[in-house]
This record gives sequence, C-alpha cells and structure tokens, in this order.
Amino acid sequence: MSLHDMNPTIKFGTMTIIMFGLALFYNPWTPLVIIVGTLTIQLLATDVSWKKWSLFLIPFLVTALGTFWTTLVFGKELGGETWVTLLGQDISKEEARIAMSLSLRVLAFTVLSLLFMLTTDSKRFVMSLMQQARLSPTIAYSALVGFRFLPLMQREMYQLQYAHRLRGVPLDTKWERIRHVPKLLLPLLAGSIRRAERVAFSMEARGFTSGKRTVYERIDIKPSDYMWSGIFFILFGLSIWIGI
Amino acid sequence: MLKSWKLKEVVLVSVLSVVFAVVYLLFVHIGNLWAGLIGPIAYEWIFGIWFIVSIISAYIIRKPGVAFISEVMAATIEMLIGNAIGPRIILVGIVQGLGAEAVFAMTGYRRYELWVLMLAGFGSAVTSFVYTYFMSGFAMLEPGYVATMFGLRAVSGMVIAGIGGKLLSDLLLKTGSLRGYAIARSGNVHG
Repeated sequence: MSLHDMNPTIKFGTMTIIMFGLALFYNPWTPLVIIVGTLTIQLLATDVSWKKWSLFLIPFLVTALGTFWTTLVFGKELGGETWVTLLGQDISKEEARIAMSLSLRVLAFTVLSLLFMLTTDSKRFVMSLMQQARLSPTIAYSALVGFRFLPLMQREMYQLQYAHRLRGVPLDTKWERIRHVPKLLLPLLAGSIRRAERVAFSMEARGFTSGKRTVYERIDIKPSDYMWSGIFFILFGLSIWIGI
Repeated sequence: MLKSWKLKEVVLVSVLSVVFAVVYLLFVHIGNLWAGLIGPIAYEWIFGIWFIVSIISAYIIRKPGVAFISEVMAATIEMLIGNAIGPRIILVGIVQGLGAEAVFAMTGYRRYELWVLMLAGFGSAVTSFVYTYFMSGFAMLEPGYVATMFGLRAVSGMVIAGIGGKLLSDLLLKTGSLRGYAIARSGNVHG
C-alpha cells in the first residue's frame, strides 16, 4: 500500500485541493504541520530517494528565503509594537509571523509537490487522466508522443552541436556550449515539427481515432485510494486546527 | 473544440509543449537564482517566457483552444519533468492559457497581427497575476510594490511572449517546416 500505487488522478486531486486550501491561511503553524506530516508520510509509505528529493528542494528553499525577507521589507505595515529593526524597517511580531507563514507556505507547496512528482509515473498519470478524468485520448496519446520526443531531442541537440563545431563554431569549453544553446533552439524546433507531422500521419495510417477505445493497462480506483486521500485530508484538518 | 483540430495539429501542440516545458523549467531555475536575492519580483521581468507557447501555437495553428491547451500541456509536462511547484503549475497553466485564449477569442480567431499577439501576452499577464496575487498572499504586500510587479509582468508578457513569440514563429516559417499549417496559408507577411 505504498503511495506509489495510489491512483494518480485521485492523488492529484487531493494535493490540489489541499494546496488551494493552504492559501487561505496566514499563520505559520498550518503550513508547518503540513510539511512535517507530508515528510512523515514520505518516510513511512514511499521509497523516494532522499538525495534526489533534496536536490529538487534546494531551489525552492532559496525561493522561500526570498519570500521571507521580501515580506519583511515590503510587507504591509501592520502596526504594532516594534520587535526588531532590519534595514531601517521596524518589524512587529505580527509582521514577522506573516513573513514566516508565507515562506513556510512556499515550502509546504514544494514538499507536497515533490511527494506527488517523485511517486507518480508520468505515463500512468496520463493514462489515468484519460480513464478517470475523461481526458481526450487524442490529447493523451499526443502528450505521450511528446514525451517520447525528449530523448530524441537530446540526441539531436548533440548532433547539431557536432555539426556546428564541424563548421568552425568554437564549442570546446562548457561555457561556450551553454552560450550556444539558444542557437540550437530553431533547428531543433524545426526538426521536431517535421517529425511531429510524420508521427501524426503514421498514427492516422494505423487507424488512430479519438472515439471509444479499449486500453491495455486499466487503472482503477481502489479502496486504498480513498484511504490515502482521507489521510491527507485528516492531516489538513489537523493543521488547520493547530493553526487556529 | 478539439473536433476542428487535425491530429497533426494536436501532435504539433504537444511537441511544442514538450520543448517549451524544458525551456520553462530552465527559466524557473534562472528565476530562482535571483529570487533568493531580490524576492519574488525576480520572476516578473522574465514572466513573458512562460506565456510563449500559447502564442506560438495559436499563431501557427489558428484554431480555437490552441492557446489554452498548449499552455496547460506545457505546464503539465513541466511538472512531470521536475518543477517542484507541482500540481499547482497545471492550474497556473490553465490560468495563463485562459488569458491568451480570451484575447484570440475576442478577435474571432481571425486576426494574428503583432498587436493581437502582444495583447494575448498581456492577457496572460493579467490572469496569471490575479492568480499569483491570491496564492502568494500579495494582499500582505505594499500596494505600490505589487503594482510594480504587475507592470513588469505585463510588459514582459507583451515583449517576450508577444514580440518574441512572433519572431520565433516567423523564423520557423522560413525553415519550411510549417508548410502544412495555417500560418503558411495566411500569406503572412504583415507587420
């Protein structure tokens, strides 16, 4: 009953509702409880690589920090007794609380999102959207085609780099290669567009229609999906209760 | 809406979405580098980047729903390849896509001159700002600061997404790879 097997659409819906709910609260405790609770669930019910998790988290830690101090400096004056003075700004306890709350909110969003991202297989998610959320099969399969293009594009990018180097573009250092990336965008796009057209023709040639269809891998809603959803909502309820 | 689309147009939209999802993600990290230093305003002046797929796709295919669906798709793919904003980003995509779509709808999906594309970028800026205002708790910031953020985002939407999107699409048209799409049939050399 790991979280990896949870129905992706239900998981997505649950997370989305909680994130929108979180935006209604301006106390630091509610997001903090969500963070702690989500991490506990991640520890107990998933085998997410924490190393990978930390790598994804770092940029958002920076954002949270940025949010914290912008809110302190550019936040609305709420009045109240001065608590500390920072950069010539008088900050009351209430203002510090709001800043704390907004930056913890960023982290709560990130932690929930990472839990979703690292426990959800992209293909299963698209397939589940098609089966549970009535996503049009044309869109679903086209999106999967798009996914298949990613490794192809990577290969093509290297080819373009070689081709350009052959013609004398200096691409020896890492910096030179990075600076050259924008110049690869146009040929890369043009090539992908041509390939997309060919793929679409071959889909049609093989009889692809958007009508009713059967699927090879059925993705169902199981009782455990409701249980997981329930656990998350209980956590959210708890966080609101503690916050107030 | 989808009924009027050809399969190759849907596939093109998803391929563009994949390419720009990668670009979007890259710019999230570029924005993040700044954001730690100067706060969320760091994202504002490059915000137009995140509207560009709507404008490019709509400009190429010229059918109802293109601007909206391409943006939502790009957002979804961005989430799946590693944007830790997560499921929320799909909502961001929906909101941004609606802004651009509304502008194209107002022209009856008939006009694709530069000013329409710029207006579409502006449309995305407006809807996305309303969303950010709510989600990031901007009500707690000084109104003047918030107005500056909005101004930057609006200009960025018009310049990067509107003008940039048109330039890139016109360059692509010149490569001949768009011969099978509406943009090539429009005798498009206005403005």
